[in-house]
Amino acid sequence: MDWNRGVLQKGMEGYLDWECCLTKEEFKPNECPFIAQDENELYATHKRSIIEKCLECPGFRNDLNRLKAADPLAATLIQHLSDEFLHLREQLQSVSGFLNSRNREIQFLNEIGNVLQTSLELDEILSVAMTAITAGKGFGMNRAFLLLTDKERNILKGYIGVGPRSYQEAWQIWDDICRSDFSLKDMAKDFYDTKLSSEKVKFRDILEQLIVPLNDQEHFINRAFVQGRPTLVEDAFNNKNVDPAFTCAIGADNFLVLPLVSKNRRIGVIIADNFFTHKPITTQDMESMETLAFPVAYAIERAALHERLQEELVKLTEANNKLQEQQRLILKMEKMALVGKITSSIAHSIRNPLMIIGGFARSLQKSLAEEDPKRGHIESIVRETKQLEEVLSEVLGYADALHPTIDLWDINQLIINVSREYQNKLEKIGITCPLELQPDLPMVFIDYKQLAYCIRKIIGTTIEAMTEGGELRIRTFLDADCIALELRDTSNKVTLATDDFMATPEFTTQGQISTLGISLCKMILEKYSQSFQAEKSPEGGMKYTIRLSLHKEE
Amino acid sequence: MNRLLVVDDESSIRLLYRDELTEEGYAVETAATAEEAVEKLSQGSFDLIVLDIKLKDESGLDLLQKIVKDSQNLPVVLCTAFSCYKDDFSAWLADGYVVKSSDMQELKDEIKKVLSKRTQRTVPKHT
Repeated sequence: MDWNRGVLQKGMEGYLDWECCLTKEEFKPNECPFIAQDENELYATHKRSIIEKCLECPGFRNDLNRLKAADPLAATLIQHLSDEFLHLREQLQSVSGFLNSRNREIQFLNEIGNVLQTSLELDEILSVAMTAITAGKGFGMNRAFLLLTDKERNILKGYIGVGPRSYQEAWQIWDDICRSDFSLKDMAKDFYDTKLSSEKVKFRDILEQLIVPLNDQEHFINRAFVQGRPTLVEDAFNNKNVDPAFTCAIGADNFLVLPLVSKNRRIGVIIADNFFTHKPITTQDMESMETLAFPVAYAIERAALHERLQEELVKLTEANNKLQEQQRLILKMEKMALVGKITSSIAHSIRNPLMIIGGFARSLQKSLAEEDPKRGHIESIVRETKQLEEVLSEVLGYADALHPTIDLWDINQLIINVSREYQNKLEKIGITCPLELQPDLPMVFIDYKQLAYCIRKIIGTTIEAMTEGGELRIRTFLDADCIALELRDTSNKVTLATDDFMATPEFTTQGQISTLGISLCKMILEKYSQSFQAEKSPEGGMKYTIRLSLHKEE
Repeated sequence: MNRLLVVDDESSIRLLYRDELTEEGYAVETAATAEEAVEKLSQGSFDLIVLDIKLKDESGLDLLQKIVKDSQNLPVVLCTAFSCYKDDFSAWLADGYVVKSSDMQELKDEIKKVLSKRTQRTVPKHT
């Protein structure tokens, strides 16, 4: 017998036969019907068992009523004290429950907040937010829909829905969640990794109908924005203040509207309901979810800003690369301009004296008799001058072609212009030059000077190869997305293999043909993505084909 | 006899042109500057002008524009040390374009061709 029980027994001895087991000498397990199996420790601590159980025991109440007759003062006192105790205990339990609930909520919001603060990806943020709203460990709503603001169209439109679509699926999901021991963070991650895309598809038919014009001030969603706090929509199907199309799309009679606002900017809205369980949405649910709204809105806006920043960064990087490329090009152009100036200076400083030297030498040559011993000297001057002039022409011609100025040109007109330059020369040698130019060809982006230079080189090579006359046929025609330019001659002096002929940028002569011009053409045309081919024609002679793209090369 | 006006700032070249073209049967006048050329054009009539591009006082291409504007039927053959102007729009106003060479046959052929055609001056189209 412990002290408490002894005191009680002694104090009440002789008054009554007690119904309550608190005064019993032996207090066996399972004897008190109000002590549950998992509360067996109360049998060992008598004082605790009185406080926890006896004060509420009907036996004790009966004992107390009987005591009133024997000792009204003591009974009344005990009655008051026990009532007060029970009342205080109830209050304490309520406060404790409230604090536990708030503690869980703070922990939960802290968990969400950590993810929201660190994530910059919209879908990841939405995964956390939507999981928090629908998970049992979170706010435990059955379904949630998110509508995001489309600034360009000034509307809110459905972006994602989360939750089951049928009772069967609902039980399946809740069963799975019960089996797993995922934290909210794990659930959000799992949702992001495996379910996000499928959830978007699953609710597509509903999401497509969830469109709210932001300028419709009377729309209940916009009114929720004005109020700036969660709104509970009840009896939606009969509520004249609620858009019936919206209600039909959602299909729920009661739902919560949670506006997401960041610095007065309307980010979006979350619609949540208990479509399957029909559990009432309480004021506490609304208050709790209101605390979630701000970090979610802020995180969504931050993610959107980050995304835009990334896009701008990409654009800026591209612009920077382009700028650097332009700078390189400008430097190159400056160098080329320098080359142009130098060559221009060379042209004037060398060609004029050469012309004077060679020209007067030719005059002298004509005036000297055949047997004049000085004629040989004059002929040497004429020959060397001619040689120098040819080299100069090659070098200056190539230097001219170094300055690309791409523009739209009529290729047929270019052929006519260039072939006209050679008309006299060709006629003199006995080369006919029929032009087969396909009419109405589209204009093409080319550098006129470069292409004209290349065609002059080809015609020049042909003239060299057909000293005894022949035919140079020039043809233009549309070939898929190119304009083909074909020059075909009847020469038979080219004995080099085609590859060598194309790739030997020097004065290699084989059958007296200089290949420098052709290899330069190849270099120039291929540098600007034009195709150039030189091949021996089966009918004899050479065939040169230039293919010019109809699309402008960047 | 066709009368030619040769405009070039190099005296040796003017002399060479005069010798060679006179030998071909032309009456040749020369001018060293654009100003002198304009003056000579205002004083007498010519059948063709052989014009250099780099002149001391003015660009030959600017002079070409003036000539085309003032006397549209007067043919001009550009004879220059620069091959790069061949594809220049302003050079297309001329009836012929010859790169200077010690072998003046090309220039002579061009003059002959232009004179024989005597066609109306047309500007090649840049389409």
